[in-house]
Amino acid sequence: MSISTPAGDSSRQTSPPAAKKATAGAGRPPAARGARPSGGGGGAGKGTRPGGGGKPRKPITPVKVSQGRSWGPIALFSAVGVIAAAIIGYGIYAVSVGPKDYKEMAAGISGISDFRKSDPKLTNTRSHKSGSIQYAQAPPVAGDHNISWQNCMGDVYDAQIANENAVHSLEHGAVWVTYRPDLPKDQIDALASKVRGQEFTMMSPFPGLDKPISLQAWGYQLKVDNAGDDRIDEFIRALRLNASLEPGVGCSGGVTATGTTPRELQQQQPQGQ
Amino acid sequence: MSTTYDDAAVDDDVTYSPAPPRRRALVVTSAVVAAVLVVIAAFGAGWFANSRNHPGEDSVEAGFARDMSSHHAQAVEMSMLALDKSTQPDLRLLAGEIAQAQQAQIGMMQTWLRDWHLGPTGHQPQMSWMTDGASLVHDGLMPGMASAADMTKLRNATGSEFDHLFLRLMQQHHLGGIHMVEGVLAETNETDVVWLAQSMANNQRAELEFIQQILTKIGA
Repeated sequence: MSISTPAGDSSRQTSPPAAKKATAGAGRPPAARGARPSGGGGGAGKGTRPGGGGKPRKPITPVKVSQGRSWGPIALFSAVGVIAAAIIGYGIYAVSVGPKDYKEMAAGISGISDFRKSDPKLTNTRSHKSGSIQYAQAPPVAGDHNISWQNCMGDVYDAQIANENAVHSLEHGAVWVTYRPDLPKDQIDALASKVRGQEFTMMSPFPGLDKPISLQAWGYQLKVDNAGDDRIDEFIRALRLNASLEPGVGCSGGVTATGTTPRELQQQQPQGQ
Repeated sequence: MSTTYDDAAVDDDVTYSPAPPRRRALVVTSAVVAAVLVVIAAFGAGWFANSRNHPGEDSVEAGFARDMSSHHAQAVEMSMLALDKSTQPDLRLLAGEIAQAQQAQIGMMQTWLRDWHLGPTGHQPQMSWMTDGASLVHDGLMPGMASAADMTKLRNATGSEFDHLFLRLMQQHHLGGIHMVEGVLAETNETDVVWLAQSMANNQRAELEFIQQILTKIGA
């Protein structure tokens, strides 16, 4: 901020208020003084000014206070001000109106369980293990998993699938929709219509579920009573793809068979339904 | 500012003493008004920059990027099956080309969404970015997509049955994809989107010819 223009100098000269006052009271600018004898209208009021006595004084070099405005710095400060305001304004805009981060979206869903917050140790555990794996949650939401993932290209499975394969799909960014097998058929169909053809989703029955419907993404779970619950769409919108720990890795090429025994690599083909 | 006000008061004001407060009030008021205007302008500029520099949340371009990514993903899935199962060299070549091109294009479209500060998922129904698009979705399937039953058949098919089924399904898939591409080209001027959409149409038209050639060769 080095302002070394002549205009800048003049503005600095006038800045101490004390000096200004003194100047204003004592030394009238020559132009004003010269105007007085001619009986200009301004003369009358000026006599009343304290300390402005009419007696001639030694002419203090008149510091010309207003040498035109100092447009240089004014323009500069204005420009800086506008830029700063624009940056701040944009920030306010981005925070208040801009698109929300998926974690914010998820946090806004009432009743959601966020295991990334409550149990980061679990959600950071993601090794490949063969065979059966015990999970603390039912259905599971994260943890070690089978080397093969369950196909999650909008697959609607009509029988239970292996947790160990399903958890791997969650790691890829899938939302896994599960329902208690006694869910009325119209609700099962309603759920299926949210899944079928929608990659990065899959659906399967889950016997023993403590609620009629449960949705899982890596580290997140939401249990609801009814397929008409708006939070189902919110959960899918917030976490499908977004919850992936391996962006770019897809949902195809996975296990398409059902059954609770984890499917290892060589068991994938052929499959039936 | 205060300099000019003092000076002006001395020079011009007849009633010297009551003037300064009024002047000061005027200056303060105009400063506040100016500041408010600047903030409003900046907010507007932010909104403008955000909405104009790149497609928005419910734009045609974002809808296309999201839906075409899913559409492509199924073509990749089918092509990977073909690479795994087919014994026809030209069919395997075609499948490799489709899998590589479309997976790369998924990456480009997902990158657009990130660049546009948009998520990979929208809240609009599939295909609603395209005129009459929602009516083209049947049972969750966008134009040309294979049903779950078709995919199961494909996974279970072998030999020439597989080859025929794959080529037929991919033919439908490409035709549907080209239809979606034409839908976005009719409504966007976004340079990258136009560029990629046109190259998709060109590639897939060429691949349709290739599919036809293989079908003719293996006896459709």
